[in-house]
Formats: sequence, structure tokens, C-alpha cells
Amino acid sequence: MKKHLKVILLIISVTFLQIPISYSNEEVSVSGISYDEIYDPIEPINRAVLNFNFFIDDIAIRPIVKTYRFIAPEPVEKGVSNFFGNLKEPIRSVSFIFQGEFYKSFNSLGRFTINTLTSLGTFDLASRVGLEENETDFGITLAKGGVSSGPYIVLPIIGPSNLRDFSGDVVEYFVDPISNSVPNREYLVIGNGLNERVEVDDQLDKVRTASSDRYEMIKSIYYQNRNAQLEEEYIQNLPVPKIYIE
Amino acid sequence: MRNLLILISVIFSFSNLQASEVSEWFKNESIQFLEIINNNEGTENENYENYKYFVNKNFAIKSIAYGLIGENIINKSSKNELSIYLNVFTDYLIKTIYKLANSNTSSSIILKDVDIKDNIYIVKSIISDEKSSANLYWKVIDTGSSFKIIDVIVENTSYFVTKKSEFNKILRRNRGSLEALINEIQKI
Repeated sequence: MKKHLKVILLIISVTFLQIPISYSNEEVSVSGISYDEIYDPIEPINRAVLNFNFFIDDIAIRPIVKTYRFIAPEPVEKGVSNFFGNLKEPIRSVSFIFQGEFYKSFNSLGRFTINTLTSLGTFDLASRVGLEENETDFGITLAKGGVSSGPYIVLPIIGPSNLRDFSGDVVEYFVDPISNSVPNREYLVIGNGLNERVEVDDQLDKVRTASSDRYEMIKSIYYQNRNAQLEEEYIQNLPVPKIYIE
Repeated sequence: MRNLLILISVIFSFSNLQASEVSEWFKNESIQFLEIINNNEGTENENYENYKYFVNKNFAIKSIAYGLIGENIINKSSKNELSIYLNVFTDYLIKTIYKLANSNTSSSIILKDVDIKDNIYIVKSIISDEKSSANLYWKVIDTGSSFKIIDVIVENTSYFVTKKSEFNKILRRNRGSLEALINEIQKI
């Protein structure tokens, strides 16, 4: 555990010491968040990793995902997704405590209790009694604490991230009460990874066909989704084009 | 004080009227949009023509096209270059909307809410088929004669923001050459 603690502290300190994110000023949204240029100092490496990920996806992961989606009936797919989603509730509860969101923390704990007891998490019955799902993670907690996103990184197999979110993921890996209490946690990690891949399958298909630069498209989508989790009036504050008479 | 109250109520009822107009426009156009994306009977060419009609009628193409390249590129480009770019971009917009929407067999689009900020309507809707549903936001402007879409946001992903980062990258890689961008987007 001491060794784990050292790793966590090292990652947090690296995150806090990083250079602030730099943006060009051409197009800035109302909120001040720019989407024009995301800090990406290791782009050549990231592009190579993304190509590797697409290669692995094409030859191994995608066929599994497509077969699974073809075979599994919709309720099974939904049930599996709910199951893995439910396992994230305890760590979300911890994240919300660090964010000072105590109501949401209890909400997550309540959801986990109800869904686990009634269906082992395969049905989301908690939402029917008013306990709606609130997504969060340690990356969001760090962001709310003022930590900048740091450089964009593409991780082998895992996919897009940034230094802050990756640090959050590492912290979660060590403090997650669920996966730490399971004997063979690697199966859980693989299952969760495949489930997340299933959930973005349609979007990935569109990235393959409707993009002139899939690397830029994935990066932009990643940052937009993360910013949406951080900003309350995200949709309203997105940059819009200047209006020209048609 | 009384005049102020009258003024406030006039402004309030005017904005309500505008919101109901944009709602009405959206309901009509979303029905057409659904007909197009649910039409599996026509040939690929016919379907593409339907998308073309829809995009030309409802999208503020020039604003989106110019917004994606930014003022610097617009100012340093000739009228002829911009005209070629606009034509190529129109085709690109139709193709990308076609590719993004055509794989979905959607059964419904439900209007949820209309918000207005800085004279831009934000129409919130939900698109759903038998398998799943997603939040779909449309940013719309009133040109005086009609309403035009300036951005489409699926869940949290904005078409304009995503394409802007792609276009910026191509422009930066090619030292701001509009010709290079045109060549690149023609490949789609």
C-alpha cells in the first residue's frame, strides 16, 4: 500500500507542477474555453499510438464488439452496460465527497445499494425512485480543484486522455473500493474496457467515415465531452460562427 | 414605472412569439429530416439529393464555411478562391451530414425546449430509434426571411467545433493555404 501511495503522490505532484494549457486566441467561446488548439506537445507520438490502436481495434477488438452486438439482444447489452456502470458508483461517491457534492455522493451510494440489491446492477431501478445517475471521476475532481488538463495523450489500447484525466484514472485504480475487493480484477478491467468500447461503437464508425483527420476529430470530441462535464452552460457557451449574409 | 412594465411585457411576449415561430419551423423541418433519414427505399443517389435539398434549404452554409476558416484566411484569399471553397464546402457539409445521419434509422425527433442566447436559438430535441436515444441540439438564427441552422450538437459534440479543429489543423499544416484545405476536404 505504501508503494501505491508513493505512485499516487508522484502522479499528483507531476500534475500540479505541469505547464498550464496553452490556447490560441482566434476563436474563444463565451466561457473562455477555446477549442481551437488543444495543448498537444507529443502529437507525433500520439498519432502513432492512435494508428496502433486503430490497427488493434480493426484486427481484434472491433470484430468481437460487432459479433457481440449482433448476437446479444438489446436488453442483454443494456444489462451489461448497467452492470459495469453500477460498479462505478462507489468510486463516484468518493469523488463527489472530494468535490464537496455531498448530496450527489449519497445519491451514488443509494443508487449502488438499490441496484445491487435488486438486480446485481443489471437494471437501473434507482432512477425510477428518483436517484438519477450523475457521472464523475477523479479527473473531474482534479479539474474542479483548479488543475489544468495538461498535454493531450493517447494511451495504447485505452485511447484519448490528458495528463490530468490519466492521473485521475490511476488514482481511481488504486482507491476504487469495488475493483480492489475483487480477486481477479483484471477480468473486471477488461470487461469494463470492452463495454466502454461497445458504447462508443457507433460513434467510432462515424469517425472512420466522416472525418478528414480522425486524430483531430477524436481529440476534439474528447475535450468537448470533458468540458461538458465541467461546465454548467456548456451548450450555450460553445463557440458559434460569425453570421454572414447568405 | 407603468411604461417600464409595458415595455417588459412587450419584449417578453415578442420573444415568446419568436420562440413559438422557431418551434413551428423546427417541427416542420424535423419531419422532413426524419423522412429523409428513414427513407431506405430510394437509391443512394436519390437519398443524397434529398440531403442536399435539406442542407441547402436549412443550413447557414456561408456562415459555417467562413467560420471554420476564420477571418485571417478570408481576408487574404481572393473572391474566386472563396467561391471555390464555398462550393466545395457545401458538398462536404452535405456528405458529412449524410454520413453521420444516414446510418441511423431514427423513428422520432421530439422537441423539448427552445432557449435563446445572443440572438441564437438553441433548440433542444431528442432523437431516438428502437435501440437508443440521444440529445440533439440545433443552434438556429433568424435571417429575417427564414431560420437557418449554424450548428448541430449531438449529445456534447458540436459539428462546428469538431470541424473547426480539423480545418485548423489542415490549414496550419499547410501554412494557411486555402487551396490545400480545398484539396483535403474534396477527398471525403
